[in-house]
Amino acid sequence: MSAMADVTFERIAAAIEAGASTRRPDAKVAQRFRPGDRVRVRNQHPWHHTRATRYARGKTGEIVTAHGVFVFPDSNSQWRGEDPQHVYTVRFTARELWGDEAAPNDSLCLDFWEPYLEPA
Amino acid sequence: MAGHRHDEPESGIVLRVKAIESLLAEKGLVDPVAIDHLVDYYEHRVGPRNGARVVARAWCDPAYKARLLEDATTAIAELGYSGLQGENMVAVENTCQVHNVVVCTLCSCYPWPVLGLPPAWYKSPPYRSRIVREPRAVLEEFGLTVPRDVEVRVWDSSAEIRYLVVPMRPEASEAMGEDELAALVTRDGMIGVAAV
Amino acid sequence: MDGIHDMGGMHGFGAIEREENEPVFHHDWEKRVFGISLQAADSVGFCDDQLRRSIERVPPEIYLTSSYYELWLASMEAIFEEKGVLTRGEIERRVEELKQGERDG
Repeated sequence: MSAMADVTFERIAAAIEAGASTRRPDAKVAQRFRPGDRVRVRNQHPWHHTRATRYARGKTGEIVTAHGVFVFPDSNSQWRGEDPQHVYTVRFTARELWGDEAAPNDSLCLDFWEPYLEPA
Repeated sequence: MAGHRHDEPESGIVLRVKAIESLLAEKGLVDPVAIDHLVDYYEHRVGPRNGARVVARAWCDPAYKARLLEDATTAIAELGYSGLQGENMVAVENTCQVHNVVVCTLCSCYPWPVLGLPPAWYKSPPYRSRIVREPRAVLEEFGLTVPRDVEVRVWDSSAEIRYLVVPMRPEASEAMGEDELAALVTRDGMIGVAAV
Repeated sequence: MDGIHDMGGMHGFGAIEREENEPVFHHDWEKRVFGISLQAADSVGFCDDQLRRSIERVPPEIYLTSSYYELWLASMEAIFEEKGVLTRGEIERRVEELKQGERDG
């Protein structure tokens, strides 16, 4: 969208609609986890930017989906390069995260980069 | 972002933005005309009507629904919607067993190509903090009661996947055509804070 | 970063306020901030990860009391300064010039 010449609405629309995916399908990165695996969110509390939410740290859930490889924000946010990693949707029971106050049949799904996870 | 007071802005912020835009333009880093087009696009070219068409198509066409649930990005692009903040879509379907609701607790991630830009409440600390911990209470405040035997599943958009909730098709809608059905679908239904 | 932005599950935030028929943008300046961010991401060279990092470094009391686009703007200013593209000094000087222009006009 930094086209300085001939800026038309349609050129802008085309640039928006092309998107800016952070998926890196060509990156050769071994996939550690598979759907169905039990995983725990690592007890890590970095000062830098991360997308591992505090409320899930140390909690155990199940891999629902393996999404492929994406730019890793912990590295990229600090201008340290893309370091692409596998991303997974992990499902937790509500009680795992919030204790017995939570409904017994509710759940939460969060998306994690592989370095946030360890086998449970 | 709780302090979203939408009365007259202080002239301070207006002047500051003018200053920044003019300086960046002088340095060749932004083009005010391009900004006009970007704003126009997000005010008019995208919005919940896009997502409503996706949902209505899924209700009417089982094969499309299957494609949507399998590979939402491609299925949504079939209808002409794609791009920023929608490059990696997942559609989650409400059923008699599961009610889905979406949030971004960490910031404001939202599927722009199908829903447009998010409303202020979605980006607010009350929603972001409470929907993950007490979803049923929050949904009640939105006017939606989820029966106890239905699972509430909250999707926190913590990576680059963007979620679209496919509400359940309303009862007694068999005679409706796709356009009529699309008119029933609301933005709140596609976030998951309303039934449809 | 274990900052205020990571607010999933926090207690105390109260009722969710909603606005009927909320416009996409509430003020013209918000539209400009939005457009600047999309353009500058390409021209200055930053992406969502860096913008989020920048937002998260805003002090908690400012994070909670600023409007959404005010936060974006503050975060971009920090990136512009970090990348040596635009300093706060330049911004302040231009603001003064604009104020002078308004007074004279």
